[in-house]
Amino acid sequence: MTTAAPIPRDALGLGLRAAHYGHLLSRWPEVGYFEAMSENFMGDKRASLDRLDAVRARYPVVLHGVGMNLLGHAPLDESYLDALCRLADRVDAPFVTDHLCWTSAAGLSHHDLLPAPHAPELVELAAERAAYVQRRLGRPFGLENLSSYVSFERSTMTEWDFYAAVVREAGCWFMLDVNNLYVSSQNHGTDADAYLRAIDFSRVLQVHLAGHSREDDGTLVDTHDHPVADAVWALYAKAWREGGPFPTLLEWDDRIPPMPEALDELQKAARARG
Amino acid sequence: MRDAPAWLAELQARFGEAMRTPLDRASGTLTATPARYPAELVRATGGAEARLAVYNRQYWFRLFTVLQTVFPLTVNLLGAWAFNDYAARFLLAHPPTSWDLEHVPEGFEEFFAHELGAHPHAEALSSAARLDAAWRALLREGPAVPFGPRAEDAARLADARLVPSPSVLLWEERWALLERKVSLVGPRVDEPASPPPRHDAPRWWCLRREQGGVRHLPLEPGEGALLGLLRERTVRDALAALEASCDPEQRSGLPAKTQRWLARGVERGVWRAVDFEDQRRTQV
Repeated sequence: MTTAAPIPRDALGLGLRAAHYGHLLSRWPEVGYFEAMSENFMGDKRASLDRLDAVRARYPVVLHGVGMNLLGHAPLDESYLDALCRLADRVDAPFVTDHLCWTSAAGLSHHDLLPAPHAPELVELAAERAAYVQRRLGRPFGLENLSSYVSFERSTMTEWDFYAAVVREAGCWFMLDVNNLYVSSQNHGTDADAYLRAIDFSRVLQVHLAGHSREDDGTLVDTHDHPVADAVWALYAKAWREGGPFPTLLEWDDRIPPMPEALDELQKAARARG
Repeated sequence: MRDAPAWLAELQARFGEAMRTPLDRASGTLTATPARYPAELVRATGGAEARLAVYNRQYWFRLFTVLQTVFPLTVNLLGAWAFNDYAARFLLAHPPTSWDLEHVPEGFEEFFAHELGAHPHAEALSSAARLDAAWRALLREGPAVPFGPRAEDAARLADARLVPSPSVLLWEERWALLERKVSLVGPRVDEPASPPPRHDAPRWWCLRREQGGVRHLPLEPGEGALLGLLRERTVRDALAALEASCDPEQRSGLPAKTQRWLARGVERGVWRAVDFEDQRRTQV
């Protein structure tokens, strides 16, 4: 069980990225907490773990994964969970999150966050697995909504009903990504406001913000290589009014700006709250 | 725990096939070819071929980026376009199976050396890929720390083996690759760079993981040979082998040199332990 103090509900955090280590480990800027990408530190990665330990000595660190394969056809990978639990214990993460998606199939890993049909039988599957993961971790486990580019004929539920049902049945938590919510609603022509209304904000562990890109055909792609879009800030402000406070974290994974610039972008969240 | 429905396996297998569909190079850019996606998948997504192409492109570009990041010198010598061709062949032959992206490049340097075949610069290119792979291995380690045997072990050291530190590597260089590697800055370009010059005689380097990166330290030729021998033999056997490889003139100053080289190896953290196991086995 975790002994970590909870992240304050109004905290602002930043995704921990190697590009920022130089600034971070010499200046120690004021940041509420950091979110480490779990897989970057799982296993025998001595150099990475040394840096993570140095960060953890000064800041709370939460973990965010991209490889759990919660909705994969194959059973959960116990060796993956062993490594994740060890890492969560090492940093005493106040919470751990991953995505409501699949990443691997037929023994091959695709290193992407892939959508599945929104079907009741997958609610049961995902909820059972998420509840199991949360028990193994001994700390709150949150599921993030995806950015997606395709939908399935087999879906019989809206994405928000599917997501809310999994969290409710699992007894786990929402990790609400407002950029993903916006990207998917634009790509599929769905109602972002209805999505927000379906969220029980008392079960939101954290909210993510990030930038996206627009393809030539208008498809929005979750690239994390731009500042947060104005429309996403507007949706974030609405989420805050509906259900704030909640810890808020900025992700930036490509064309990463210098850390002071990323922190300036993060501060916009405080202003967006009104 | 309950099993996933059977239809999910089928759907995910077809989705994976679409993602791994090779990008077409004929137009001079890497282009998705949605017509090659499994028909069942296209039906299951309501005919969303163009959207499936987003996943298809992301799969390849993410993995190309991983390989280009680990093999920057090789990319420099080949150009990004040609490198991606080798990378695509490697990834088709060895698609990722682990959740850990760090495993993706494993084995690329051997595959690449084989695929180069009769390429006019095959030797320099495969050496560059091996250097990139060695550099990556060091970056995954923590900084090297000086290690020396205890005074009480000195008497039996001759028959012991020195255990190499994973934070230090020896590099025997036949092409001027190291200087090129450490000078690489700025964005990668599609055009290949001119190959580096070949040395008249091999040069030895000590690649040492330090705080903030990898440092390359020149070694005297005999020093490099000795450190290489010490990785495979007891101290006594390594010294004997080195002496046997020297001509009479080199042999005359050898004891003083080997003392200096051994001390420098200790200072640089080339070793992390002394293994007396071989000695014990001999005594038994």
